[in-house]
Amino acid sequence: MAVIVTPTEFTLVLFEHQAIVDILERLLPDIGLGDVDVTLNVDERVPMGRADVVSIDPVVLEVEGGALEDPKVPRQLSVEGTADILGRLLLRVRDRRDPAFGEPPADGDLTLAHKSAWDVYCVGRLARKGYRPQRQRRIYAFRNRHGFTDAADAAFDQLWSAESLTWADIVRISDGAAAAREPITA
Amino acid sequence: MKKMLPVEELARDERFNRVDLFSQAMDPRTVQNREEGKGRRGPQKLTPDRDDAPEAARGLMHGIFMGEVQALEGAGRTCWDFPTGTGRDEAPFELKLDMARQCWDETRHVEISVKLGDWMGTEVGEFAEATFLYEAACNPDPVLRLTGVNRALEGLAIDIFNTMRDFGSVSGDPILEFCEDWMLADEVTHVKMGSDWLRRMTEKDPERRANALEFQKVVDRLFSLGGFRGEEEDSPIKLARRFRELAGFDTKEIDEIADLSAEARVVAEAMRAEGQARVDAQHAATGTEG
Repeated sequence: MAVIVTPTEFTLVLFEHQAIVDILERLLPDIGLGDVDVTLNVDERVPMGRADVVSIDPVVLEVEGGALEDPKVPRQLSVEGTADILGRLLLRVRDRRDPAFGEPPADGDLTLAHKSAWDVYCVGRLARKGYRPQRQRRIYAFRNRHGFTDAADAAFDQLWSAESLTWADIVRISDGAAAAREPITA
Repeated sequence: MKKMLPVEELARDERFNRVDLFSQAMDPRTVQNREEGKGRRGPQKLTPDRDDAPEAARGLMHGIFMGEVQALEGAGRTCWDFPTGTGRDEAPFELKLDMARQCWDETRHVEISVKLGDWMGTEVGEFAEATFLYEAACNPDPVLRLTGVNRALEGLAIDIFNTMRDFGSVSGDPILEFCEDWMLADEVTHVKMGSDWLRRMTEKDPERRANALEFQKVVDRLFSLGGFRGEEEDSPIKLARRFRELAGFDTKEIDEIADLSAEARVVAEAMRAEGQARVDAQHAATGTEG
């Protein structure tokens, strides 16, 4: 397992290169990608939160600096937040590399609802590995995409507690919750 | 008890971290992006179809929560910092009563905001605390506090609550929509208090009134930076014209804020274009691509 993080020295933010490497080296075996090489490119100039999987083989991730930043202390790295963001991206990589998972659309073509449902499935698995769950934050995001309904909450629970879903399962659960949403008239 | 408490001495526990405006403006990323003409582009209005909408709403809600805490502290200080009376360095008893009522409202808003934070999955202190509201509430002239806080910042709060209420409505979040609507109603009252007291306290002192309105303009300009607040459909925070009318602003005053915002947007776009041109010229000179 080789982990490459660029840049090796940060000048605009107060991130420590080794701290990010350490987080990735902890995540990879936890996620089941212990034998995979990973490159992470951080654009420290941008304080926004974009985070993308650029390639799954080889694994290349790209994030804006804001995605790894502590929202409480500007320009400082958030260890928990970084593990959360990178963990989600790596779980998506693992799912995409698993033939049994199915073939989700490219990240840019995912609907907001499906993306949010997949995120819940990822964060639920991360939480059971001991990473920060922030369950209420996740259910709020999920409700925004699927409606503030009991059906959406039940779908959330299903995704959160699952260990081996396929892409088709995620779409079915997400679409089922969205269908129960009352039309918004405002 | 101390009078004129500086912002550094506000009581906060270890959950909070303060960031002042100067530090935000001097963030090397902000400076570099400003010089290179970078920054957010495209519509920034808070709508559910934005990829980051739930996160943006959480951050904005925490900002509102901190604003409520500081509004409570500011209104409380106005009750205490000035002797009771009608002199220039004094605050009338009836004004203090209004400020005490505002404290009661702001306390309720803090409680509502904490519960909304729970609802949205946000911890108290999860985001940095900006201190601008309380800083505006430290002005040694009570009339300038009224224009800086009640009219400018609480006016901004009207625009923000209206934006958040619309976001709750469009995203189908009944809790957010309901809470924002109730807080919005109180904010209209607070702004109206500012408008009414400004007129009463400066009725025979046009110079003081002019100074107070100039201070309000400075604060309004600050929060129109980069087109943050405006009348355009894609403005992150939309100027809530109708609620401002209810709060005692006349059409001319609302037009002035709209003009300030439009000017700020033009300046920001020009700066972006200028920076981009500079970067493009550098790339052309060195034969690299942007």
